[in-house]
Amino acid sequence: MGEFFRRIQYLLNRRRLDRELENDMEFHREMAAREGRNNFGNTLRMREQAREAWGWTWLDRLGQDLRYTARTLARSPGFTVTAVLVLAIGIGVNVAAFSLFNMVALQPLPVRDPNSLVRLERRSPQDYTSEMPYLSAIFYRDHAKSLSAVMAVLGVPPMQVDDDIQPTSTSFVTPNYFIELGTSAANGRLFDPTREDSPTAPPVAVISYALWQHRFAGDPSILGRTIRLNKKPATIIGITPYAFASLGGQRPDIWLPIAQQPYFIGGSNVLNDPSNSSVRMWGRLAPGVTKQMAAGELLTLTNELRHQHPKDIWDNEFIDIHPGGHLQVMQAEMYQVAALIAMLTLLILAVACANLGGLLLARAVTREREIGIRVAVGAGRFRIFRQLCTESLVLASLGALTGMALSYVVLRVALVRFDSPGWLSPVPDWRVILFAMGMAVIAAIFFGFAPALHIARQRQRKTIVRQILIGLQIAASCVLLIVSSLLVRATQHVLFTNPGFAYQQLVSIDPQLGRYGYTPASAQAYLSQMQDRLRALPEVKSVALVKLPPLGHSVSRMDTEIAGRPVAIYPNWVEPGFFQTMSIPILLGRTFYPGEKRVVIVSESLARKQWPGQNPIGQLLGDGPNQDTVIGVAGDARVNAMSDDDAVEQYWPAQLDDMPDMVLMLRATGEPSGLPPMAKSISERLDPRLFPEIRQMKLLYRDNVQQQVEQIAATVSMIGLIAILVAAVGILGLVSFSVSQRMKEIAIRMALGAKKFDVLTAVLRQFLWPVAIGMIAGAGVAAAASKVLRRILFGVSNLDPASYAAALVVLVAIIALAGLLPARRALRLDLAKTLHNE
Amino acid sequence: MLITHTINTPKPVTPSGALVLLILRVLQSSSLHGYAIAQRIHILSNEVLAVEEGLLYPTLQKMLVKGWVTAEWGISETNRKVRCYCITPDGRRHLETELSDYDRVTQGIQEVLRTA
Repeated sequence: MGEFFRRIQYLLNRRRLDRELENDMEFHREMAAREGRNNFGNTLRMREQAREAWGWTWLDRLGQDLRYTARTLARSPGFTVTAVLVLAIGIGVNVAAFSLFNMVALQPLPVRDPNSLVRLERRSPQDYTSEMPYLSAIFYRDHAKSLSAVMAVLGVPPMQVDDDIQPTSTSFVTPNYFIELGTSAANGRLFDPTREDSPTAPPVAVISYALWQHRFAGDPSILGRTIRLNKKPATIIGITPYAFASLGGQRPDIWLPIAQQPYFIGGSNVLNDPSNSSVRMWGRLAPGVTKQMAAGELLTLTNELRHQHPKDIWDNEFIDIHPGGHLQVMQAEMYQVAALIAMLTLLILAVACANLGGLLLARAVTREREIGIRVAVGAGRFRIFRQLCTESLVLASLGALTGMALSYVVLRVALVRFDSPGWLSPVPDWRVILFAMGMAVIAAIFFGFAPALHIARQRQRKTIVRQILIGLQIAASCVLLIVSSLLVRATQHVLFTNPGFAYQQLVSIDPQLGRYGYTPASAQAYLSQMQDRLRALPEVKSVALVKLPPLGHSVSRMDTEIAGRPVAIYPNWVEPGFFQTMSIPILLGRTFYPGEKRVVIVSESLARKQWPGQNPIGQLLGDGPNQDTVIGVAGDARVNAMSDDDAVEQYWPAQLDDMPDMVLMLRATGEPSGLPPMAKSISERLDPRLFPEIRQMKLLYRDNVQQQVEQIAATVSMIGLIAILVAAVGILGLVSFSVSQRMKEIAIRMALGAKKFDVLTAVLRQFLWPVAIGMIAGAGVAAAASKVLRRILFGVSNLDPASYAAALVVLVAIIALAGLLPARRALRLDLAKTLHNE
Repeated sequence: MLITHTINTPKPVTPSGALVLLILRVLQSSSLHGYAIAQRIHILSNEVLAVEEGLLYPTLQKMLVKGWVTAEWGISETNRKVRCYCITPDGRRHLETELSDYDRVTQGIQEVLRTA
């Protein structure tokens, strides 16, 4: 270590030490001269050699290289600005994507000890649910020694505050929630486990900062005031801070103690029902406990739970533990999406790098003289190569800096627009800065290495590298354009076609009977009365019951294999009239009879996959003793997986036990917007305790599906467009460069009588092959890679010929424009002048 | 390479490999400036070894960085301000290990030359 510090000292004091060294040598020379020896060597060179012992020569060289680079770049500001901008786009897009990923999945939540927070979910090889029964959560809390705390969150439909028309989002939480997160109130107090853990405690509510500001105008006297939530009085005791970081990114406006849930939702038995998976569970690992240790203990506890409630625990069930101290708890599927986005943004960087590489090579031809002179005065190839690499690194660093600034601006705007949590900040943290630095180095290697090698060996006139770079650019932009074109098609598809059922006139009514303590029998009675009264309305065409409505709060999925290929089956439990109400055609067989059991209706695609070329009616489905007979085939309808064209459906007749979970679907005769108030008043007369969630499919579809897919398509199209523009600028530059290099040749050809067309071909021919090969390669890559997109393409094939054709036509048009514009200059040459000049 | 020729005497040898060892040895008794180190080695070796400036100063710099010697300001015999190098405890330790290594190597070479 001592040596290291001495070296640092030599670095810091090197001026003084160099003078001392000079003095030493001066003295030596004087003494030698006294003795008649005058052949002391070159002091300057000797001093340099001596200084090498300090180990900082590389720094001096770097300084030289940097100064030289600064001068070179400053001398050609046009090139520098173009290069930095191209890189800023290429790197900036990646930095922005990474920053987003960083905010969502890497940055720890600003809460107490975020690293020990874990999300706990039920999983078995066949089943998965993100929620668990409250009783189980309590059981784990009371018995798990590896967890120092357990928090449970019960999400409920938005509640009505006083007489508001717009309901307000609400969650029930265990009273340790805020204490465990180390949150203190902006005003008043938050929940206290000693006071709010009893169902008989006075009902209280904590409200969000936003609700306080917007609904209560920031009034400080709100504390202690009583509000009515779904008509039940509760006292406001506190306000969460503005930048409150909650678990899992859930941000309700009203927080209520979970123990008081039966008070707010009269008759509810959710907290005591071991079969009702309804709460999200979080925990804190005890100090020194690893995930594996906790998983082991929880497995033992799960097995104990199975003894208590044999029906409610799955075979081989275990508790899945994920790190919980981030905005988003990442699941395997989300990593797939992240990888997809990363691939797209890296393509942009590839386009930018290939582009800049071409520019550098072109520039090298004009720098031939300069480099020739440097070689002539003794610079080695390695020294030239190093100098060129330094230039690339400087450009890349400038690009990365500008890119970070760009990404910051874009993210700032986006965060405000999408109403993100107050604690999220787009300011780059160390991860983002490190990432940007890494990107700069990678970019410098990609765009600078090959040209530098080429130039250092003085082979800059060879065109093959330039052609490869063009091919790369074209291929990468081709992939991006095809992907964006596929997504645009998907958007159109969503806008103008049905997801297998006509949703425009549908209204769903979810009375949540299970939550209000309805038994199967009373639920059936309620639902049949409700159906009768709704059917009596002239505005209602038909009514049916379904367990998992479209765009509902929960989705069920069974992943199986048919003939060795993975298939996602979406099960549902419906009433006989469901197909008619949803306008899903029965293609073969019939619908259910009332009260029928052990029968099943499958979707067309499932029938085709399961029994290709056979009659599906009468076949048996399921394993072991629980086999059901297929009685009908329905049209494909993506009720629960709108975006996934590969999904298949399977319907069972709803049984009495399903009744507390059933949702009513209404089809209106005309415009459905008048139905919700009527349905609400009917429900209020039937049971005033209930607050059914009434939703118009048309609006729901627009908000959840169309907007989402439009945003995705718009973003990707923008990325694709940026890529193609960058590529076009690159081609424009290269063609105009090659024209200016070949002025003389062209002029001679024209003087000798060459036709305009021949001249154009001569200029553009060298670009023809790279463009063609690049397009073919790009289309091939897109076709192979877009398989992963199928799930979000809403039924558009990932090989949709129209999308490919559109993308390629746009690409060809832009490239032709970028090539022809500068090439035209060759035709307008003033022959006499050009030839005279040369 | 700079090699000093002296007329009528055999060509002096540059002790490149063992220079560190020699410098440490001559500094063991007293601190010296650069020129004196070269002179002392030259004289003590019966004018067989000549240390060139081009090798001496880089070696001294290396030894400074390694911490085997330090430099202090002193006054030369010609009344000039000059840096004098003196050995450090680290340098003495290094000298000892170098010496024992050197002994072993020369013994080994002698054995080979004698018996082979």
